[in-house]
This record gives sequence, structure tokens and C-alpha cells, in this order.
Amino acid sequence: MEIIQGFLDAIYGIFAGSGLTNLNWQNYIMIAVSIFLLYLAIKRQYEPLLLLPIAFGMLLVNLYPDIMAAPEISLVPVASKTDPAAAGHAMQFINGQWYYENPQYGGLLYYLYQGVKLGIYPPLIFLGIGCMTDFGPLISNPKSLILGAAAQIGIFVTFTGAIFLGFSEAQSGAIAIIGGADGPTAIFVTTKLAPKLLGSIAIAAYSYMALVPIIQPPIMKALTTKKERSVVMEQLRPVSKLEKIIFPVIVVILISIFLPDAAPLVGMLMLGNLFKESGVVDRIAKAAQNELMNIITIFLGVTVGATAKGSTFLTFDTIKIIVLGLIAFAMGTAFGVLFGKLMYKFTGGKVNPLIGSAGVSAVPMAARVSQKVGQQENPGNFLLMHAMGPNVAGVIGSAVAAGVLLNVIPH
Amino acid sequence: MLQSSVIMLQNMTAELSLYEKSVSAAKVILTGFIVVFGMLLLLIGIIKLYSAIVAGAQNAADKRAKRKERVKEPVDADNGVHIIQKPAYITGPAADDDIPEEVVAVIAAAVAASMSPGAKPRIKSIKKANGGRSAWANAGVLDNTRPF
Repeated sequence: MEIIQGFLDAIYGIFAGSGLTNLNWQNYIMIAVSIFLLYLAIKRQYEPLLLLPIAFGMLLVNLYPDIMAAPEISLVPVASKTDPAAAGHAMQFINGQWYYENPQYGGLLYYLYQGVKLGIYPPLIFLGIGCMTDFGPLISNPKSLILGAAAQIGIFVTFTGAIFLGFSEAQSGAIAIIGGADGPTAIFVTTKLAPKLLGSIAIAAYSYMALVPIIQPPIMKALTTKKERSVVMEQLRPVSKLEKIIFPVIVVILISIFLPDAAPLVGMLMLGNLFKESGVVDRIAKAAQNELMNIITIFLGVTVGATAKGSTFLTFDTIKIIVLGLIAFAMGTAFGVLFGKLMYKFTGGKVNPLIGSAGVSAVPMAARVSQKVGQQENPGNFLLMHAMGPNVAGVIGSAVAAGVLLNVIPH
Repeated sequence: MLQSSVIMLQNMTAELSLYEKSVSAAKVILTGFIVVFGMLLLLIGIIKLYSAIVAGAQNAADKRAKRKERVKEPVDADNGVHIIQKPAYITGPAADDDIPEEVVAVIAAAVAASMSPGAKPRIKSIKKANGGRSAWANAGVLDNTRPF
């Protein structure tokens, strides 16, 4: 009889601790959403390198929320300070009663998430990106930096929209940075300004980056004429190795002095680029752009996904964030193209305005969209290298914009 | 100090009035616009400046190298003119040492095939590229390796 009772108690204990009793309806909806995102990542191959870990992190946290639980210390009362049960534990004496501290460790993803929370992963991702980025087209045609700056206007305009929709200043800044179309920058800013919105903002930012080929072309075509889209640009001048080596050093000095808040992102980006361009640390450059970046991508993706718990994610604010993110993205594209048109006018038709849309970062997808839309008008037109200039300028521009937001907005 | 922190926290959490929202939005737009454009325009100026300096230094170095070559050339004693002795044909190896002869032969054949019949193309130099990827290859690598 005692055995049967013990068995039933054990079964009940397992059932009581299972997800069947602990999960709420929001968790189940998020499980369905995460499975849909897994489908998009695997079957449709929408940014699979990031969407797959994000979706799986989302799935894990909604199946087992304690995987993101923070560590806790519970106080267990004991008869005396020398009680054998308290051996090896720290003691506390409260109101005439001795307690020993019984630490309960946090969940796996809680610890991995510290890299996001403390702003460590995004700069490390930027280190890898720096190793893979060729700033040659930008050095060859420095005017393309203007397009990288113009595409950031969407960030600041969206800030206005967010603040009038009822978000706080800090939250508005975090939402607006989606317009920078740069994942690490969006995560870096959000963890500092509005950590509770991280899941919604990261998912919105990455979704729009994956949807660049769908979102950008209609805006680009609507704002340009057939004649402007057909412009064939002059070939870029070759850039010497010395110029490429000097570039990251100058950028990091300039931006870190004038805008220290952007130094972690820009500093790591330029360090990675110097690894590449110096040519003397090939081993490190390869490690940064392969092993290190892949490892950080796994940790970042899974833990960002794990911030999307049903109870915090399924709110009206998430819908507002997704709409505002789309506006930010569209505005960035539009301002980039409009400044491209200005450059077309000022240069007497030598600049194709389509390269302006690449200023929103989203390297290299946005540059490829410029190339593709340009080739629809003139199949012999190769805009890719010209668009890579504003594209990498957009990475610097969004990091500078992030520095401005962190500087101006109290947090 | 503590008091100012508390006030700041209250400001951050309290619902902003329409006027405060407008001021905040205008402040962010103005600062953002000016700082982002200012920084990037400054960067344009600096890139142009150092590119010009580097180009100037490299041109000067090229000129010095050419002058040194000229000094080595024999001078006609009667009128002081440099005598430039050039072989009718370059007979030295056109290809880098580490390029196999088979590869040189294939390149020569490809060049000859691409010319009109009867033309006598002359290959002056065959050098290995420095290993850098083309723009397309770079785009492909970035596309596949840059998730964030």
C-alpha cells in the first residue's frame, strides 16, 4: 500500500511540475509562433543563421520558463549557528533566528543572456563583421557616407512616432533604432534603454532585415524615375593598402573622441577591420570572423529568442513596435533614396539614386537590392560596388546614431 | 546626488505631457541629424585629406624610383643625354616563379585564342592575384556568414 501511495505521489509530483500545469495560454501561442518561425528559417530560409536559434530560444523559454530564471537565495531557518544542516553555507541572524543561505542557481539561458544584458555580444559580433567588411568602396567614394547618414534619419523620425504613441523616451529610442537595420546595434541600444522590450525589438529588427528585398524595391521605384534608375556609374578608383589600414584607425579615433557611447561598437568593428587589412594577423582575423562569430551568434540568437516569453511578448505594445519598426525601416530607405536623388542632381546625373537605399546597413542584402533594381532597368548596369559604399557607411552611421540616442536619452 | 537620481527616475517614469513629448522629439531629431551628418561629413573630409596625402606620397616615391633608374642609365659623353637601352623584346620570365609553366601555357593560349587571327600578342607579366576576393565573392561570403 505504501509503495503504491509513493508511486502515486511521485507521478503527481511529476505532473505538478510539468508544463501541463505550469504553462499558460500565452506560452502555447508563443510555442506555435516559434514553430512557425522555425518553418520560415528552415523551409523558406529567411535569415536562417539567426532566425533558427531565435525561434528555438523562444520555443525553449515558453516550454520551460525557468530556463531564463535568475538565481535566488532562499533563507532556511536552523536551530543554531552550528547546526550540521548549515555546514558550508553562509549564515544570517535575523530577529533572533539563525538562517542559512540556500542558493538556487539560475537557468542555463539566464547565464548565457548576461552577454546580451551586459552589452558584450553585440560588439563581439561587430568584431567579426569588421573582419569581413571591405571599406574600399567607401574610401574610394567618401561621398557615399552622406547616404549612410541620410538613411539614419528614419531612426529619429520614428522616435517621434513612438513617443507620441505612449512609449517612454528610453523605449522610443530603443524602438527607433530598428530603423538602423543593424541587429547588434539594435540589441546594444535596447539592452541599455529598454531591456524589457528586447525580444520584440530584436525580432522586429531581424524580420525586417530578412524582408529587405520585399520592403525596399517598391519604395525605391516610387521615389525614382526610370532615367535615374538607369544611370551607369563610373568605375571606382583602386584603393591602396595603406589607405585601407589608416581608415579604421582614423574612424575609431574620431568617433570615440566625439561620441564615446558609440566606441564599443565602432571600436570592435574597426579592430576587426584592422585585423583584416593589416594582413599580419590572419589567424586572429579568421578566428574572429568564423569561430568567434559563430559561437556568439548561437548564444545571442538563443538568448534573444528566450526573452520572448508569452506573458511579456503578447501585448499590444509588441504590435505597435512591429508597426513602428516597419515605418523606421521604410523611412530610412526613403531618405537614403531621396539623398541619392540630391546627389544625382548635384553631380549632373553621375550618381544612381538607387544606391541610397543601401545606406540602411543590412549588409550586404541592401546593396544587392540596389544592384537588382538597377539591373531591372539596365541589365548591363552593375551597381553592387557603388552600393557597398553607402551600405558599410550605414553600419558606421547606425553606430553613431546609437551613440546619439544613448547620449541624449536619460536611462 | 541621491535626490537628483530620484528626480531623474521620476522624470523617466512619469507620463510626459504633449509639450514635453514635442520637446523631447525635437531635441532627438535635431541632435541626431546634426551629430550623425556632422560626424560623417567630418569623416568624408578626413578620408579625402589622407587619401590625397597617401596618393601624393606614393607618386613622390614612384618618381624617386624612376629617377634612380635614370641615374643608373649610361650618359652620352658628347651631349649629356641619357641613353636608354631597351631590348627589342623582353626575354626575361614574364610569370612569377611559383606559377607552373602549364598555367603560363594555358594563359598564353587563351590570350592568343581571344585575339584576331594573325595578331602576335606579347605577354609581359603574369602575376598571382593577392588573394583578395572580388566584390561578388565578398557579397556571397557576407551573405552566408553574417547573420547579425
